Amino acid sequence: MRFSLSWLADYVDLGEGLELETDPAGRHSTRRITEAAQRKASQIGEKLTSVGLAVEGYPVQTFDGGGRAASGAGEPGLEVEVTSNRPDCMCHLGLARELAVALESTLRPPSIPLYGSLSSDGSSGAVVLEDPEGCPRYVARVIRGLKVGPSPEWLRRRLESIGQRSINNVVDATNFVLWEMGQPLHAFDLGTLPGGEVRVRRARAGERLVTLDGKERELDPEVLVIADRERAIAIAGVMGGLATEVTAATTDLLLESAHFDQRRIRIAAKRLGLHTDASHRFERGADFGVCDEASRRCAALLAELAGGVVEEPAVDAVARRPRPVAWRLAGADLARFTGADVDASSIERVLSGLGFAPRAAGDGLWEGEVPPWRAADFEPRRPRPATAAPAGAPGEAYPQDLYEEVLRHVGFARVAPTLPGLGGVDAGVNPGHALRGRVQRALAGLGFAEGIHYAFHDQAADDRLPVVVRAGAPLALANPLSERYAILRRSLVPNLVAAAEFNARHGAPGVRLFEVGRLFPGGAAEEIEAVAAVAGGPAGGPWDGPAPCDLLGLKGIFDALLAELPAGPFEARASELPGVTPGTGAQWLAPGNLVVGWFGRVASADVPFELFAGELLLSRLAVEPRPRRVVAPSRLPSVRADLTLTHPLDLAWSVLAAAIDAAPDPRRVGFRIKDRYRGEGVPAGAVATTITFEYNAGERSLTQDEVNESQSRLAAELERRFGVAREEPR
Amino acid sequence: MSGAGTTSGGAVPTPEELERLAGEAEAAIAAAGDRAAWEAVRVHWAGARQGRLRELQALIPRAADRKMFGQAFNRLKSRVEAALEARDAELARAEIAARASEARVDVTLPGRRPPTGSLHPVTLVLAEIEEIFRGLGYSVAEGPEVEEDRFNFGLLNFPDDHPARDAQDTLFLEDGRLLRTHTSPVQVRTLLARRPPIRVICPGRVYRNDNDLRHSPMFHQVEGLCVAEGITVGDLKGTLEAFLTRLFASDTKVRLRPSYFPFTEPSCEVDISCQLCHGTGCPTCSGTGWMEILGAGMVDPRVLENCDLDPDRYSGFAFGLGLDRVAMNKWGIPNIRSLFESDERLLRQVRG
Ligand SMILES: [Zn+2]
Repeated sequence: MRFSLSWLADYVDLGEGLELETDPAGRHSTRRITEAAQRKASQIGEKLTSVGLAVEGYPVQTFDGGGRAASGAGEPGLEVEVTSNRPDCMCHLGLARELAVALESTLRPPSIPLYGSLSSDGSSGAVVLEDPEGCPRYVARVIRGLKVGPSPEWLRRRLESIGQRSINNVVDATNFVLWEMGQPLHAFDLGTLPGGEVRVRRARAGERLVTLDGKERELDPEVLVIADRERAIAIAGVMGGLATEVTAATTDLLLESAHFDQRRIRIAAKRLGLHTDASHRFERGADFGVCDEASRRCAALLAELAGGVVEEPAVDAVARRPRPVAWRLAGADLARFTGADVDASSIERVLSGLGFAPRAAGDGLWEGEVPPWRAADFEPRRPRPATAAPAGAPGEAYPQDLYEEVLRHVGFARVAPTLPGLGGVDAGVNPGHALRGRVQRALAGLGFAEGIHYAFHDQAADDRLPVVVRAGAPLALANPLSERYAILRRSLVPNLVAAAEFNARHGAPGVRLFEVGRLFPGGAAEEIEAVAAVAGGPAGGPWDGPAPCDLLGLKGIFDALLAELPAGPFEARASELPGVTPGTGAQWLAPGNLVVGWFGRVASADVPFELFAGELLLSRLAVEPRPRRVVAPSRLPSVRADLTLTHPLDLAWSVLAAAIDAAPDPRRVGFRIKDRYRGEGVPAGAVATTITFEYNAGERSLTQDEVNESQSRLAAELERRFGVAREEPR
Repeated sequence: MSGAGTTSGGAVPTPEELERLAGEAEAAIAAAGDRAAWEAVRVHWAGARQGRLRELQALIPRAADRKMFGQAFNRLKSRVEAALEARDAELARAEIAARASEARVDVTLPGRRPPTGSLHPVTLVLAEIEEIFRGLGYSVAEGPEVEEDRFNFGLLNFPDDHPARDAQDTLFLEDGRLLRTHTSPVQVRTLLARRPPIRVICPGRVYRNDNDLRHSPMFHQVEGLCVAEGITVGDLKGTLEAFLTRLFASDTKVRLRPSYFPFTEPSCEVDISCQLCHGTGCPTCSGTGWMEILGAGMVDPRVLENCDLDPDRYSGFAFGLGLDRVAMNKWGIPNIRSLFESDERLLRQVRG
């Protein structure tokens, strides 16, 4: 939000440096932008930043074209990030209030004439408040006999200095009050209002209104409107209607200065997609107390600028008063909470300056009421069951809200750094987190680079490759960034395949990538943590002597990973999987046939090598940790012996291995596959598998006879069950 | 055996002839090119049974002047033995040299590297942060990435229909839930699940409807939360100083500026002295000497009440840090998007 420094200077003494000029009415302006002025601007900016109003830039507004701009004429400005809890700082007077406290100066509010007004409860008369929740207060003031025309130089300059355009004296006067006091005002052409009456009510379903921007809008009962006896004439707190607009011919007008409910205005602005300076203020919370004052300020300007006569009394209809919020602050509690020693005079100075009007209520104890312009930021305490407050009693502010006000202005630098006086360590446990770390380190150790990808992709990616857990349709975004990011992923592999393609396009001869992340199975199903990897081509350069990745190479990565985890081994069952080359796909099965992952060769990827992928659901691994024990090795060396079995090609290794396991032999301590051979001597449709067996009798040495006996017994058994005759060499 | 032929037939050689034989022997020994030739020449001259020295020694008793002949023979024998020994040593040296040249490797050639992988820069930064907070007694808590409105907003004191929500650029799901916009919902989940004292950090992926050169729709945060009796603003400040001076340079300055978050009161933005210029001002810090690093504050009493904790008894602090910017800073990664496109040429350079 843009602020003008010379405008701020109307309400608070900014000190030397800005080369301010003052007109007879006491309004300030800056003639030239000098280096001193810029230094001053950044000093003030730092002050504001230090109290929580972050100044993000120092724009300079120049006037009257290039010639004078080049000579340095203009108004120095501030670009302030006003957080959404500070609607009171969305105007010059509000910012000046903060600045006055920060500079240890005093605020000079403008002097405003006391035009009379007549209180009403809004149930009848010229102003009827039909929705006291949505509009608790409405000040209607009539100004007659004015002449719409251009604004004087000072007013145009004021508005232009904050990037606004001057329109005419009437509109400019309302805008000036908006940017000065923060109260949005609206002027209706009184001649277009039958009986000069207004009602504030909910719109009727299907009711229509052409707004000031010329657009016809369809309304509904969620939207609050200003209406005459018949129809809606303005969208309350958002935008006026075209039919009641002030025109060059207007002479009499009704000036609205009302308080609208935050939520009601926010709902209307969102539904209509209409965001205005007025709606921005109301939806953050306007100042209930300023309605009449702002109206009088604007009326006085209209009298001065457009020759209007302010009619008395105005109507000040109040259908509901906000519950006041009382506060109490104990200096000792403040010191205990902040760890900063703040003296009593600083507490009093800050709270008085900010409008909290502190009253001493004992030694180091103050109390008062939260000013109405801060109401939105001081939502009172919820009633505590033990202390039922009488109806109509003021609300009670949280002391923390007061601590913040004081601390903002005395500064965090006053707080001495300490560490929480808590012994020991926190009691929380998180096995999933530890598991993830092991997976990441294991795969990095196996030569894979860790990647991280967006958790969303397109629908086609969900269909293209295997998904282990589908719980109905994938979760779809209501407002996706684009169709490419339309749904939440149920597999990490599509993004990894895309990354493999990216690397291949950039000349990589091979890829080794993995990711650990969440999968979203759909519906209300819990998120699943998974790990996936893709590999293809060689892992290094030709010098390093790597073989290009193949299917068992990829499977071996997962075997090695599982060996690092308290889980597995899992059975790999051949499966036809979508997007996987037929004959290469497999599912990982945990005991009970629970599918915990898959692997296979990616059927279609735009890479110049065979690409393999696998995925493992970590959330399903953590369920049953495998006991971790070692077997003490024998002091004697083992005896190894090979056995070659020629068997049909379609005999799965897992079946063969299970058969070996099922033929118990106390001397056999292990076996592993050594080689597979197809070719001369092996009939078509068969394969010769060589297995190395390891024998050890523990405490004594084995004889060759014993080993031979074990081997031939096993060989006979395997031959009988699985063997095919070898062809005689020709 | 041509050299021996002149003295065969039983004639006793003269001392001059023995002198000449010594010269002959020395020449033959020196000419032995390898171990086999040396062995042959040794057997010829010094063989125990049929060597020339043995034959000549047998002639000593028949010599005219036995003493003179004996002396001449001894000279011959010493010269032959010395020559054999010298040649033996030479051959041994040559053999060692030959073996060395066969095994020699150019040690300046690159080693054959087994494949080595890498962890993502965000993973490494998080590991560092976890290490720091583990040392301060914190544990790690996690929560879902798809969240309910009440955990992401409502219980964190974002009122319904309030502009504070606009700043979050939320990605909504069609079923009414949303992708968490920050890791703060894990605070609430932790406070609802456990009783104080609580010290946790909550790392994770978060999402915003924001995609441009500086913003990614997905990024990473780590949230810290400490709630117990008597936790102060000073504890927040001290913890952040301890944390940031470990994560960054040990002389890093830490500055707290008041700010606003709905779920903390008071709230602050936390700046550290610019890691490039050490506070003197440079383009990276827009000349300010400071870099905004995280948001923090004391847990808002309304949030404590939402989690059934009495704000008069308990207090606490929370902070949230973006991991991606820290990672980019640490490794000089210029563009946030390159964190998420898995270019192995970049990823494999990253070392912890
Ligand atoms: Zn710098």
